[in-house]
Amino acid sequence: MDKLLNKARGLYIDRQRIALAALIAMYAASFILFYSNGIDSILKDPPIDWIPAGWAQGFEVVASFNTVGFFLAFSVMMFFYAFWHWAFMPSPAVTYTISILKGVFGQKSKITQSLGKRFRVYVSDTEFIDVKCRIREQESGEWFVYKLTSPIISSEKREDIALRHGMAVRNNRFTTWVAHDELHHRSILLAKAISLAS
Amino acid sequence: MSSDDNLRTMYELIQLMSSLNDTRRAILLALGHIYPKSVSGVQLSRLIGYSGKSRSLYRGVLSHLQENDMIQIDELTPKLYAIRINSEHPLLTVLIEMCKEFGEESKKIYLKSLEEEEE
Repeated sequence: MDKLLNKARGLYIDRQRIALAALIAMYAASFILFYSNGIDSILKDPPIDWIPAGWAQGFEVVASFNTVGFFLAFSVMMFFYAFWHWAFMPSPAVTYTISILKGVFGQKSKITQSLGKRFRVYVSDTEFIDVKCRIREQESGEWFVYKLTSPIISSEKREDIALRHGMAVRNNRFTTWVAHDELHHRSILLAKAISLAS
Repeated sequence: MSSDDNLRTMYELIQLMSSLNDTRRAILLALGHIYPKSVSGVQLSRLIGYSGKSRSLYRGVLSHLQENDMIQIDELTPKLYAIRINSEHPLLTVLIEMCKEFGEESKKIYLKSLEEEEE
C-alpha cells in the first residue's frame, strides 16, 4: 500500500478508537446525569395489583422521562458519531487522492473536495467526474476503495465503450469501483472513454 | 476483422489489463486460461494465490468485476458459486482466444492445480 495511505489508515484507526472511547465516556456520563436526580415516572400510579412490587418499581424506572431523555441524548451521540464516520477522511488520504487526480487530469484542473469523502473533477464548466471514497469496505475488508462516476454520456455506443474500458453504464453514466492502486490507471481509462464517447 | 481493428483491440486489451490491480489481473488470466471451465470461489482464491478469505474475495473484487461485466457468477446453491470469465466481453474474447491458441502449457499448470485440490 502507498505510504500516504498507510499513514492515513493508521490515523483512521487511531481516530476511530478515540471517537469510540469518547462515545462510551459520554454514554456513561449521560447515564449518570439522567438517572441520579430521582425518577420522574410517566405512569404516576403503576399497576401494583397485578405485577409484583419489585417489578413495578423497575417498570417505573424504565417508563420514565429519564429514559426518554437518556435515549434522546444517546441518539444525538449516535448521530454525531455517524456523521463523523461519514465525513472524516484522513488528510494523507486526501493528499493521495488529489495528487493522483491532478496527475491524470492536469495540475491546473479544478478539483473540489466536499464532505463525505467526495471529490469532484471538473472536465468542463458544467460536467464533472465524481470520485467517492470508501475508507474501508465493510463486506470485503478492503481499504480505500473508490467509486468513479462520469458525466451523463449521450453517445449510443456507450455500452460498448464502457465494456471496452472495464466499466459499467448506470443511469447513462460510466461507473466503476476501483481499488486504491488502480485509481490512477483507471481514471485515465475513464477520461479516455469520456472523450471517445463525446 | 481487419488488422487495424485487431491491433486496436489488442491495444485496448493491454490497457484494460494493466489498469487492473494484481488480484484482478490474476483472476482474469486464470479464468481466461481455464475457459470454458468455471470454478468456485475457494478454487479461484487458491488458483490465484490469494491469501485472504475467499468470502472477502466475493464481496469486493469479484462483485466489482461482475458489475463491470468481466466475469459471470452463477449461484448454484446459496454457498456455491460458479465463476467464469465473460466470453461475450469484446476484449476478453480476444484474451480467451489467445489463451486457447498459445496458452496450452499454462493451462496445464492451472488445471493441474485444480485437479490436485479435487483429490
